[in-house]
Amino acid sequence: EEALLPAPQNISILSTNMKHFLTWSPVIIQGETVRYSVEFQGEYERVYANESWIPISECSLITATACNITEDISATVAYNLRVRADLGARRSEWGTLKGFFNRNTTSLTPPVMKVIADGYHLLLELEDMGPAFQFRVLYWKKGQERRMQQKVVKEVSSVVHLDTMEAGAEYCVKAQSYVEDINRSSSFSQTQCVRAQGDTSMWL
Amino acid sequence: SGELYCSLLNPRNVRFESINMKNVLHWSAPEGTGNGVLYKVKYSVYGVGKWIRKAECRNINRTWCDLSSETSDYEDQYYASVKAFLNGMFSDWVETTRFNPLTDTKIDPPMVSVSSTDRSISIILTAPEKWKRSPEEESISLLQVYPGLQYNVSVLNKKTKKRWFFSVSNHTLVVPWLEPETAYCVSAQIHVTTPLLDSGFSKEYCIATLKDK
Amino acid sequence: TAGNKILHFGACRVSVSMAEIRVGFTAIKANIQARDPIRTLSILSYPHSLHKVNSSDRCCITHHLFNFYVDKVFKHCKTEDSYVNRKISSIANSFLSMKRKLEQCHEQNRCECGRESTEKFKQILANYEGLNVTSAAMKSLGELDILLDWME
Repeated sequence: EEALLPAPQNISILSTNMKHFLTWSPVIIQGETVRYSVEFQGEYERVYANESWIPISECSLITATACNITEDISATVAYNLRVRADLGARRSEWGTLKGFFNRNTTSLTPPVMKVIADGYHLLLELEDMGPAFQFRVLYWKKGQERRMQQKVVKEVSSVVHLDTMEAGAEYCVKAQSYVEDINRSSSFSQTQCVRAQGDTSMWL
Repeated sequence: SGELYCSLLNPRNVRFESINMKNVLHWSAPEGTGNGVLYKVKYSVYGVGKWIRKAECRNINRTWCDLSSETSDYEDQYYASVKAFLNGMFSDWVETTRFNPLTDTKIDPPMVSVSSTDRSISIILTAPEKWKRSPEEESISLLQVYPGLQYNVSVLNKKTKKRWFFSVSNHTLVVPWLEPETAYCVSAQIHVTTPLLDSGFSKEYCIATLKDK
Repeated sequence: TAGNKILHFGACRVSVSMAEIRVGFTAIKANIQARDPIRTLSILSYPHSLHKVNSSDRCCITHHLFNFYVDKVFKHCKTEDSYVNRKISSIANSFLSMKRKLEQCHEQNRCECGRESTEKFKQILANYEGLNVTSAAMKSLGELDILLDWME
């Protein structure tokens, strides 16, 4: 009987900013192309649906050793994941991720941002990190850190208007990304400062 | 004796088209038929299931039928159905998918009115009204139907070509500290997070700030 | 955009990924509802609409309905379509997450069950049990927008 194909090893999750990837080491068979298939099992399937597994069609019989599972990990519960190898008629056992994966463990990075002064207006450009993200923006007049103001930005269309600035004054801004679905935030971005148009007659 | 049974091809693409909960049934004529085809329409409330004929859409030759009045309760879901007939032949009844006015309607952009001083512009936003049977009937703003409704407002400085975005919940927005004698163009969009319903952006309303006092 | 919502069910407040559930359901709504040919019966809406439930009973009814969908509905909705099955899994796991959150509040006795909510839920179960399991489950899943509209 043909030797059983070895199951994929080193199965792990790479999860950053709510994008989740399952990765594994290749099964090496000299001169052959091994294919892989991935399945997932949510807590619902484990507890209420006879521990059933659900195939991910985009990762069925693929040659890559990574699978984007983001769309299927769409609830904040514990998921099981497994992958097996196929070579012609030969098939391996399932290799299963050690431990569960819950999306609330994703690593969150601060947003890429650009602060703009346009006349007396303080503006902010933010990176679009996906539909799950909002941004908590803190801004203050330099030297008046205790009078820091906050704005939550949910729509990242383009240049977001934060506030108006006093003529000639310098304003600083920092932001963190926030994901409501898992109730977690990233660390703050680097602070950026800009200066308002200098015409002080505005204040007479 | 066997009755001669000729059937007509079915109307196609039977669906509701809804804007601000004005819910109109639309369809396409059976393939290959020219003029002269007539139609009749019926509708039903999901869960009740009794089909009700729409009298005003009996023996009509147009390919739409306004069912706004019959489907105005947006706590219910509906089906509608169309049958075609021509020279004694007739088609099957062809149904829509289940129609949920609350989630399946489209929303018009808000009305935008803008005024200016030398250094600021004031923007007033008005959400469209839900369709109503007659002008005398009490108006219901879509704001009441979708309490989470927000406005995304775009302000374009025509001189610098820079565009800013504001996201506001209430219907007024004042943008201070602007350049005198400068044209600004404003357009706005309605944004409802759940159910996810976004209007398009309104056309641009441009206004110039006044001469510096 | 993020569509998490804090929903108030009487004294209970639950943060719910409403937008995610809506996106998942909208993706399969036509497919699921097309599998339900019965127009004359609704599990959730008739004879008494959810919208007629008193606010004091909202928490209890919601608690019952989360359990109903998790215990009875989703498991009987397996289809031949892998994409639909994945979306159903996504919704089911989101419901499980919501059910857990509401359960904590229910256990702190802040989610009383009055006569009306008990009667209302009995009616829903009677509607459900009036059909064979698969038809009843598929019809219930097809009515998820009725539940989501009411919850919001």
